Amino acid sequence: MANTLSLYRTVKRLGIPDDRIILMLADDMACNARNKYPAQVFNNENHRLNLYGDNVEVDYRGYEVTVENFLRVLTGRHETAVPRSKRLLSDEGSHILLYMTGHGGDEFLKFQDSEELQSHDLADAVKQMKQKRRFKELLIMVDTCQAATLFSQLHSPGVLAIGSSMKGENSYSHHLDSDVGVSVVDRFTFYTLAFFERLNMYNNASLSSLFNSYNPSLLMSTAYYRTDLYKRPLDKVPVTDFFGSVMETIHTDSAYRGFSVKGTDKAEIKAPLNLKASQAERRALSAYHQDQISDFNKEVCSFHCIWSTLHKTVVEKIEDADTFVNYGLVVIIPLVAASTWLWR
Amino acid sequence: MEKTRWFWVWVITSLFFRLVLIYFPENLNLGFRPEVATPLTSLRRLAEGYWLKQSSMSPYAGSMYHGSPMLLSILGPLTVKRIEGQPSHLMCSLLFVVADLVTAMLIRATGQTLQLAYSQSLRSLNLVSLLESSETLSAGDIAALVYLWNPLTIITCVGSSTSPIENLLIVLSLYGACLRIAPLAAFGWVLAMHLSLYPVILIIPVILLLGYGPDAPPRKLFLQKNSSENGNSPSCHGNYPCNEVTSQEKLPLHPFLWRPVMHFMLWASFWLFYVFVLCSISLKQHGGLLEMLKRTHGFILTMEDLSPNIGVLWYFFAEVFDFFRDFFLIVFHINILFMILPLAIRLKHRPCFLAFVYIAISSMLKSYPSVGDSALYLGILGLFINELAEMKFSFFLFCGYIGVSLLSPVMHNLWIWRGTGNANFYFATAIAYACLQIILVVESVGAMLNHDRMLRKNSTVKL
Repeated sequence: MANTLSLYRTVKRLGIPDDRIILMLADDMACNARNKYPAQVFNNENHRLNLYGDNVEVDYRGYEVTVENFLRVLTGRHETAVPRSKRLLSDEGSHILLYMTGHGGDEFLKFQDSEELQSHDLADAVKQMKQKRRFKELLIMVDTCQAATLFSQLHSPGVLAIGSSMKGENSYSHHLDSDVGVSVVDRFTFYTLAFFERLNMYNNASLSSLFNSYNPSLLMSTAYYRTDLYKRPLDKVPVTDFFGSVMETIHTDSAYRGFSVKGTDKAEIKAPLNLKASQAERRALSAYHQDQISDFNKEVCSFHCIWSTLHKTVVEKIEDADTFVNYGLVVIIPLVAASTWLWR
Repeated sequence: MEKTRWFWVWVITSLFFRLVLIYFPENLNLGFRPEVATPLTSLRRLAEGYWLKQSSMSPYAGSMYHGSPMLLSILGPLTVKRIEGQPSHLMCSLLFVVADLVTAMLIRATGQTLQLAYSQSLRSLNLVSLLESSETLSAGDIAALVYLWNPLTIITCVGSSTSPIENLLIVLSLYGACLRIAPLAAFGWVLAMHLSLYPVILIIPVILLLGYGPDAPPRKLFLQKNSSENGNSPSCHGNYPCNEVTSQEKLPLHPFLWRPVMHFMLWASFWLFYVFVLCSISLKQHGGLLEMLKRTHGFILTMEDLSPNIGVLWYFFAEVFDFFRDFFLIVFHINILFMILPLAIRLKHRPCFLAFVYIAISSMLKSYPSVGDSALYLGILGLFINELAEMKFSFFLFCGYIGVSLLSPVMHNLWIWRGTGNANFYFATAIAYACLQIILVVESVGAMLNHDRMLRKNSTVKL
């Protein structure tokens, strides 16, 4: 549970909001009668961080964490009464991070000590998701024993998967907290968190640097990842594509338009192709094209043409529209009064 | 003197009453009632549009605000200005109270002009005995007091709706037309049309007022007088010369003067141009004039918002198929237009009353009616209290209006908030309201025509 909660906090720190996170926890630790620190979960023996403090939104807890619910969340086939917060509301442009941890083995993952999620079930669910266009890219991260076998059956494009250990290997916990009496975090998750602790939201660390940071001797297992289904090269994919929520911002000079302008005014926006471009190149250009007026003059002048040239020459020269309109409104009253008085 | 003193006492009391009510807006919650605030007149929507404008987005984005950009510039900053410890929208409410006061004064002045013209025409018809026999009340004072003390007007003034300004502009145009001040009439008409589309039909009574002068008995009576007697002194207004009538000619006593109408047209086009220029400058980055016309007048005509109100169109358009929607929109709008011509022909000698009938019809059949519209025509109805003294069903209408005003919010509450009623409950009150308005219009027109017949009978008897 500490694994999941630590990664949950990391992902939230990097910008993903709660309504985009579905957290499924067996949730039997924090308020367990044998927990010496009730309602507190730590991931380090120095007890620096209480992972179960406020600001944790668990969507599925306890008996709701079943293989059936998990597959329903993935494929989106819910009963009608299930609220939106418990649904995975993704579309064909979404990047999804799926992190699973617990006890596992050869081609399976244990749920609640009573059920198993098999690798072909997972592969089928992902295939359904792809057919229903529920994701653009999916990163599966598994931290169990023999984790790599869990995604051995996947065959949908756009899926990237990494597991903490290969077939026949166990994944080990990092250290034991003698105060609480159990091991508090697993090695793979620990080194993942360590990587992200060094990262802030605007670093451009790529997935290949994350995957290369796993040292087999430190992990005591081989972190295996499969990239055959994933088209983009790993060193070009920023980690914040999956673990955070960083949007590409393009700076423009003109104000936001709430509707589409037909015809006369065109704005040019240069989008930077290379993320590592300098600040100067990231500025976009937008300009009013005044040479459109000359095109207009060549047409036969109808009333509309006259009105639009009048519009262009007079109206657009006025920079500060609001004060002009206010003056115009204020002038109305004396104008009406004067005309009325003079008329009598 | 006594009368005018009492009049002013009542006026001041009504203003004071409004100010008292302004200080309890949360209790009354009138800005949220559909009878008071329609999508066109709601002040909350104006505040939203102003905020959008300040964030350099089009004020019409998101289909919240559907009014004029000029109103946005005037009322927008007032909605934002907040004084510590005072209720919100205080400045706007004070502005509306002032607008109500000015409207009442203009109604009073119009009433005085009408009464003067009426007594003059009666004198010229030698029906002075009619004046002295029946007790004529000062219609202008009564109409102003009716307007100020009508609960519907008070609710509109206090309830964060921009209807008081529209009412002011309509009354301003009628006042200008009665006194034959072309620029004022043109200003009122153009702005009233700009804010809500329906006052455009008032151009006919305004032109008739400018051409013929204020309400008078039918011209046939004057023709008969001309033929039987030699010469009469015509009554004239303003600076327009009137034709002298000789005993041999059969010219009508009030010839149709084209000059004020021409002046009105010129001033109207000037004001229209001014308004269009201001609006296009105000919206130059958000689509300009076409966007404004599409979102304000287009919104009124195409009836995009079907939230329930006190009218009858929303219920129908909620269930009509898309294939027939345009057809029924045309039908409903022509329903107003086709009544214009017959009424104009029949009531052309009484243009002010014609304006009242037009206002009543349009406030019944418009896309988004509210109680502000009925406040206006009930106030103007007071101007004709002398002629309509014999109106039938007046008590029934009075009780009906009270009943509908009480039942309609109850049905709305039952439907929306408690869920124990449904839309039919509320629509039933809307139908009852429309029936009452129809009865009011029909009976008032009938009473006016009866009055004219009575005048004719008395004038022929005198012969």
